[in-house]
Amino acid sequence: MAKDIQISASESKFILEALRQNYRLDGRSFDQFRNVDISFGKEYGDVTVVMGGTKVQCRISSSITHPYEDRPFEGLFLISTESSPMAGPQFENGNNTGDEEVLCARIIEKAVRRSGALDIEGLCIVAGSKCWAIRADVHFLDCDGGFIDASCIAVMTALLHYKKPDITVLGDRITVHPVDEREPVSLGILHIPICVTFSFFNPQDTEENIKGDSNAEIAIIDATLREELLRDGTLTVTLNKNREVVQVSKAGGLPMDALSLMENCHKAYTIAEKTTDQILEELKKDEKKRNKYAEILSSENNRES
Amino acid sequence: MVVQAVTGILNQVDGSSQFESKNTKVICSVTGPIEPKARQELPTRLALEVIVRPARGIPNTREKLIEDKLRAVLTPLIVSYKYPRQLCQITCQILEAGESEEEFSQRELSCCINAAFLALIDAGIALHSMVSSVCLCIAKDTDELVIDPGDDDLRVSRSVHTLALELVKGGSVIQNVLLLDSVGDFTEEQLFEILQNGEQSCVELTKELRRIISDKISEDIVRTHVA
Amino acid sequence: MSRLEIYSPEGLRLDGRRWNELRRFECSINTHAHAADGSSYLEQGNNKIITLVKGPQEPSNKSQVDTAKALLRVTVNLTKFSKSERSKSSHKNERRVLEMQTALVRTFNRNLMLHIYPRTLIDIEIHVLQQDGGIMGSLINGITLALIDAGIAMYDYISGVSVGLYDETPLLDTNTLEENAMSTVTLGVVGKSEKLSLLLVEDKIPLDRLESVLAIGIAGSHRIRDLMDKELRRRAEKRVASALAR
Repeated sequence: MAKDIQISASESKFILEALRQNYRLDGRSFDQFRNVDISFGKEYGDVTVVMGGTKVQCRISSSITHPYEDRPFEGLFLISTESSPMAGPQFENGNNTGDEEVLCARIIEKAVRRSGALDIEGLCIVAGSKCWAIRADVHFLDCDGGFIDASCIAVMTALLHYKKPDITVLGDRITVHPVDEREPVSLGILHIPICVTFSFFNPQDTEENIKGDSNAEIAIIDATLREELLRDGTLTVTLNKNREVVQVSKAGGLPMDALSLMENCHKAYTIAEKTTDQILEELKKDEKKRNKYAEILSSENNRES
Repeated sequence: MVVQAVTGILNQVDGSSQFESKNTKVICSVTGPIEPKARQELPTRLALEVIVRPARGIPNTREKLIEDKLRAVLTPLIVSYKYPRQLCQITCQILEAGESEEEFSQRELSCCINAAFLALIDAGIALHSMVSSVCLCIAKDTDELVIDPGDDDLRVSRSVHTLALELVKGGSVIQNVLLLDSVGDFTEEQLFEILQNGEQSCVELTKELRRIISDKISEDIVRTHVA
Repeated sequence: MSRLEIYSPEGLRLDGRRWNELRRFECSINTHAHAADGSSYLEQGNNKIITLVKGPQEPSNKSQVDTAKALLRVTVNLTKFSKSERSKSSHKNERRVLEMQTALVRTFNRNLMLHIYPRTLIDIEIHVLQQDGGIMGSLINGITLALIDAGIAMYDYISGVSVGLYDETPLLDTNTLEENAMSTVTLGVVGKSEKLSLLLVEDKIPLDRLESVLAIGIAGSHRIRDLMDKELRRRAEKRVASALAR
């Protein structure tokens, strides 16, 4: 992403030589994802994800509007990923036409929106005239690489966490019940896509990469900013727990052997599985914190299964 | 007025702070002095780029107005002649508005001012003096003055005010009123009352901000005592 | 509306192809000899694409100068009449088009010997006259041909093709109807190797099926490479012959 950051020749040489000798600057192994720290705000749908030095906040909001004319049975869903200089001086405020910004926005869009992670038909209130519009605002707060991965986790967690006010429909009249009056309702989430980004480095010369059979290219998972600045190519794989590939994006860059790309996809699956479990775990914990009295109030009996 | 603030939380910028008061939470970053784009450059002074981003939705005229007021408060504070032909980017990201965004922006503005002040200090930009800002309102029914009103107080207010004061000499002397932004119905006496009460809480808040800064500094700097 | 039979039990597709057959592939180079330094016209099924390569030339903008290597720029013009329904917007500056352009630049950045043309700009202009699915692959093929025509040094051919997955059968070189009915994968393969420069999956596909899709995609790309190679050689021989005759 960071185009204008200059990295000194000696530093880049050091990082690349370390990679050649199987070392990364932060001590991780090549296929180790950074620890994901998920925290929730006071309101529903306010999630902050921290991965190492990368910090992303996602905020979900909803409103009632007209559906698109050609899609009367569907609600609206928009993901906004605008950058600001907060994540680093290389980002321009509100400028989304840079190469990296476009790719990042498109990948998140494909991963979450196009893959149908949110049930938009469930957002329809009155067909053709009223529907919910769900908006996810992604704020990049701090940048140390891996924006796509962190944003995707943030958006999905926030969607799972968010609750929209309950409504009653009576003919054409819609009553929106305030949150303190009636228990708000969760959104319909159909699957949880998780993005995993690989960065490729070429330890040899270009000719060996293209013509040779050695396949010695280095692939690392979840690069930091420094590694992102130096990488020769990138691959973002999005998967869910059902072993479905939702999206793959290797937009050019270092040519990579098909078999090693497949291997990467399988590696990504293990990470996606683990991250999904973590998200669900954190959500459960938060739910418990918010609903301290739910257990006392519940009339459900403990059943042995 | 209960506030929580931390500084130096972001890695890619020169100064940063997170400021929280009641349900309003703002994170602010300062980058500078850096090289500006040609059109931003001022030959004798530091150019300021002030950006305010809302918690949800795209930045609007509402945020532009907050930006404008924030710039008006910060400009006299910064020793801008020290950095000719340079740029300072001040970005405020509102994490939680803590007020109904359609109607009010006062809480966000005063939190942005306080957060920006802390972030400027963290970035080591030279300042002439200190600033602190509070939000006040006058209740509709009782005509009572509420300092640092919450969303519920704002909803039943007759008028809302944002006050920002410039303080010198360690926060003991008030030098100037940097901003007094009032909306609604109010009388002259009420305005003076607001100034008086606002003054008090601004001085208190400044003390608190100074404490936060000095705590942070003593944490960061390891002093070696020579016996 | 009756559901289209994408893949019949007899193993035939909508346009009568088998699962592993490419569409009609016709190409020619040096089609716009006066307009650009290199040009190609490509028909892949109903995709019709003109590609113009200008350069290496002096960059118009000083800020574009890279002292170490040539700068590559790709502009894709999806004409309003390229689909069966005329589109109202000129797709310029659409995020989807910007993404395509970036992907194309990055695909060829690694494959061209840009370091031997420092301080220059190589401008690639693509006009899509008609599109019928698998457009990204056709764009890659068109660029490869035009770059060769322009005489720009490159390591190898890059050929592109898209593969769909219908149930469990991969279908090579999908058209629009097929593309709308199933998930597709677009590949950009370097020469006769198994190395992928570009790999795009935009819809859900089971992880365990991906490998078979990639396998047929690579085979298809190799075939396209051969077709392009054949045309280039035919063209070259003709030129040599006419030069000798003179």
